[in-house]
Amino acid sequence: MKKIIYIIAAILVMGWNSANSQTQKGSVLIKNATVLTVTKGILEDTDVLVENGIIKKIGKGLTASNVTTIDAKGKYVMPGIIDAHSHVALDAVNEGTAPITSEVRMADVIDPYDIGLYRALAGGVTVSHAMHGSANAIGGQNITLKHRYGSGNPDDLIMKDAARTIKFALGENPTRVHGRGNGIQPRSRMGVEAVIRNGFNDAIQYKKTWETYNNALKVKGATPVPPKYSERLQTLVDILDGKIIIHCHSYRADEIYMLINVCREFGITNIVFSHVNEGFKVAPELAAYTMGASVFADWWAYKFEVYYSTAFNAAILTQNGVITSINSDSGELIRHLYHEAGKAQRYGELTDEQTLALITINPAKQLGIADKVGSIEEGKQADLVIFNDHPLSVYAIPQMTFVDGVKYFDINEDPNDMRLRVAATESIEPIFLKEHDHKCMHGVDFFFTNFGRSLFDHEH
Amino acid sequence: MSPKIQVFKSILVLVFFLSFQYTKAQSDPSGEKRVTGTIAIKNATITTAPGKTIQNGTILIKNGLIEAVGTNITIPKEAQVISADSLFIYPGFIDGASTAGVGKAPEPEKPSDYNPANPPDDIAGITPWRNVIDIYDNKNNQINDWRKSGFTIAQLIPEGGMMPGKTAIVLFGNPSSTNILSQNSALVVKFQAARGGGRIYPGTPLGIMAKFRDVYKNAELASRHGKLFASNNGLNRPEINKTYEAMYPVVDKNIPVLFEANDDIEIRRALSLQKENGFRLILSGVSSVEKVTNEIKAANAQVLLSMKLPDDKVTKAKMEELSEEMQARTKRVQEAYQSTLKQAAFLEAAGIPFGFTSMGAKSGDTFKNLRLMVENGLTENGALAALTINNANILGIQKFAGTLEKGKSANMVILTAPLLDEETQVKHVVADGFMFDYEIKEKKNGNGEKNGTNGAVAIDGFWEYTSDTPAGSSSGTLEIKKEGDSYKGTITYDNPAGGGQASSEMKNINLSGSNLTFSFDVAAGGMSLVVNVSGEVSGDQISGNLSLAEYGSFPMNATKKPKSF
Repeated sequence: MKKIIYIIAAILVMGWNSANSQTQKGSVLIKNATVLTVTKGILEDTDVLVENGIIKKIGKGLTASNVTTIDAKGKYVMPGIIDAHSHVALDAVNEGTAPITSEVRMADVIDPYDIGLYRALAGGVTVSHAMHGSANAIGGQNITLKHRYGSGNPDDLIMKDAARTIKFALGENPTRVHGRGNGIQPRSRMGVEAVIRNGFNDAIQYKKTWETYNNALKVKGATPVPPKYSERLQTLVDILDGKIIIHCHSYRADEIYMLINVCREFGITNIVFSHVNEGFKVAPELAAYTMGASVFADWWAYKFEVYYSTAFNAAILTQNGVITSINSDSGELIRHLYHEAGKAQRYGELTDEQTLALITINPAKQLGIADKVGSIEEGKQADLVIFNDHPLSVYAIPQMTFVDGVKYFDINEDPNDMRLRVAATESIEPIFLKEHDHKCMHGVDFFFTNFGRSLFDHEH
Repeated sequence: MSPKIQVFKSILVLVFFLSFQYTKAQSDPSGEKRVTGTIAIKNATITTAPGKTIQNGTILIKNGLIEAVGTNITIPKEAQVISADSLFIYPGFIDGASTAGVGKAPEPEKPSDYNPANPPDDIAGITPWRNVIDIYDNKNNQINDWRKSGFTIAQLIPEGGMMPGKTAIVLFGNPSSTNILSQNSALVVKFQAARGGGRIYPGTPLGIMAKFRDVYKNAELASRHGKLFASNNGLNRPEINKTYEAMYPVVDKNIPVLFEANDDIEIRRALSLQKENGFRLILSGVSSVEKVTNEIKAANAQVLLSMKLPDDKVTKAKMEELSEEMQARTKRVQEAYQSTLKQAAFLEAAGIPFGFTSMGAKSGDTFKNLRLMVENGLTENGALAALTINNANILGIQKFAGTLEKGKSANMVILTAPLLDEETQVKHVVADGFMFDYEIKEKKNGNGEKNGTNGAVAIDGFWEYTSDTPAGSSSGTLEIKKEGDSYKGTITYDNPAGGGQASSEMKNINLSGSNLTFSFDVAAGGMSLVVNVSGEVSGDQISGNLSLAEYGSFPMNATKKPKSF
């Protein structure tokens, strides 16, 4: 009998999906939990009612009919964790063949079958920012994903109401790939700045050319000749027009300050710096002119430009008023971002609320989605995680993870094999001891095989 | 040297060490028996189209065209009559996308100001102006292989990068004709970067998607500019660009884009580009499709399903010997394998009229793979349609090909048994009115009674073989040992690196009745190439073929020798 109900439910859901081509939205009532809202304090012994994917009500003694009820007594509910820098669920990461590739879109290469999505869900991560790699001064247009693992349709993973973002990269990676690898600009940090400036200046010309053409079209009987189309330059125009948020791979304070100045000169305010290991040196500037910094808790020294670092970085940035987040940039770290946040708290003595903000509301602000996710508030999308313990405890283990009110992970219903797709011939698929897949320099290794792998075999 | 060039060089080396020695026992692929005057093929079971079969029928052919098909046909006095009792006639197969006989395009030269971030189009793999006929050799042995499997017409796909060129539709008729039915029939696009990818823009699917949009959009704008310039004064001249000009027939929707898309992920990418730009779309080389049938229908896209099926490595796994975890894993692989066999059935059930493409498949597997797909849900009519009328429709040649009807071109395959019968063999192929005859191998009973030997076929022992290619002859030995139920062996061959003989382990040795198959790896130029061998064992003789994946197959004959110590 139970089986029949499941089948009927599945048919209903499928029929509904194909009719509306919308993603699934769930309803659930979580009872008696300690609710860590992040923005509205800690609510003890509180219920959260989710209806059709949206947090409908937060309070005590809530009831709802025909809705799954979960007793979370003694457990903690926090907003779904948001990773502002990830490469999970991507088939390709770097179009590392040109110093500016703003025309490429990560939305084109989503791999909905990546098991990394489920692993992230098991770590409480509901949203990740699937980014282009750091091979190019101006990389591709990123895509913000909601971890609706299961359908195999890349479109279902896209967070449609997220802001547009783009990857920039400074320092060793673009100079290595293009300068040393291909003998073209940029070969130095100065070259990186020049590439970006020239790109913006070309974009201004491009915009003007098309405006002239479109105005000429309005004249009756006119036959203006259409200019060439360039999505590369049009995307840069959109950055200048404030329609796209820059997420820039960076380490050193000097180059961070350089790009802040370039952005100020071109009137760009939508910029987030990523990695930012020397961010603590320019914290006031980051606070004044940017949308913040997305950092590692304690990861550095994997190449020369990342030696000057400190585990106090996140705390110093936070205390200086910089919107700060902690990201994974890794298919492994993404599984325990709550531990990574905990490390920042351990060093910098941040409050629980400040610490949880590093992996929830702050990355949401940096991705332009803070009005939709990142905290537990009525009216927001119901991306929630239930923990057995306080998420900043070293004993914390995620129990259930919800996206839009739909449960995608449950530690008690967690089959051994969650792969959506397997090869038709191999029982054991090849596994690479060194994970190459989810990192910034994915796909560009061969550019530097000629000058010593040992020196340059770093991927961030 | 790029990996691609290395592979090509290795193939050349192999072609040199194999050789051609024409034997009478082989089929007659010369096609010299042109059915010129009038010919009647009498008393056959004729399937004129899927689901339409005539018993004891006659086909009358006049000057390469079908003059009449039916039972009550008056055979003119001048007709040459071929008695086809117990034979089965089907429309000649049509290959929706093929690389048979298609060579490599010449390598473009790098300009002095070469910049990998902004390379010339030909270096970036963008050559939409290229006509596949320019790199087609209609005397290539691969054409014989596919014709021998019943194919009479194929759409040829140019080799190259993301936009390698335009297709052509050819007959597999007499090589003295050009055999071209149409040229520049479709534009080929694939998610494959030039030179293996990564070094030249665009180097990944990311860049390829973006570059496609760029080329398409600018071709539209260039076309508009050209039209304005033609009809107005006082305008700047258009900058002639041969990439954009070659795109005009696509932009104007006169020809479709043939997008190579293997699985649902690639299909969705091709569909999204189609949705943005509105071109006509053929999805080619499809092998995993069940998740996107709705989207394909909505886009009105056409589908060429791959005839290639994965090797069955799992359905006979000895589950009881596996650990619990491996049992579970193996079960999933078995399901995945079964699912690959069902893709044709999924398409048929979804009401998508698909055709087959041979790309990546082996000609010798044609009938076996058809049977596998039919055993897994494809209807018999659906299988024949995918080989004939559906492809004729997709290629736009249904007016003169795809069925056996009065007035259509005389293309047919004549079999010894029904299409899906396990015993069926190709006896004749008529292509463009030229008759090609093939030797029928006598099927032996499982225990080899007709063989005259006592009991089972014995392959263990020491064999000497010769193999033939157009470039010359070579020889080597096989040493096969029986170990329990299976065989182990070593093959020697002329060393592709030069100087004497090299040897390899024989892999996957399988004896089914009197049919022997095995494969071996040849190391050449730093690459490993797999050579597949299959042959019929008859006493102390093996006659068969050596095949090199997409590069065709070559005859091989072996004789058993007492090993001299």
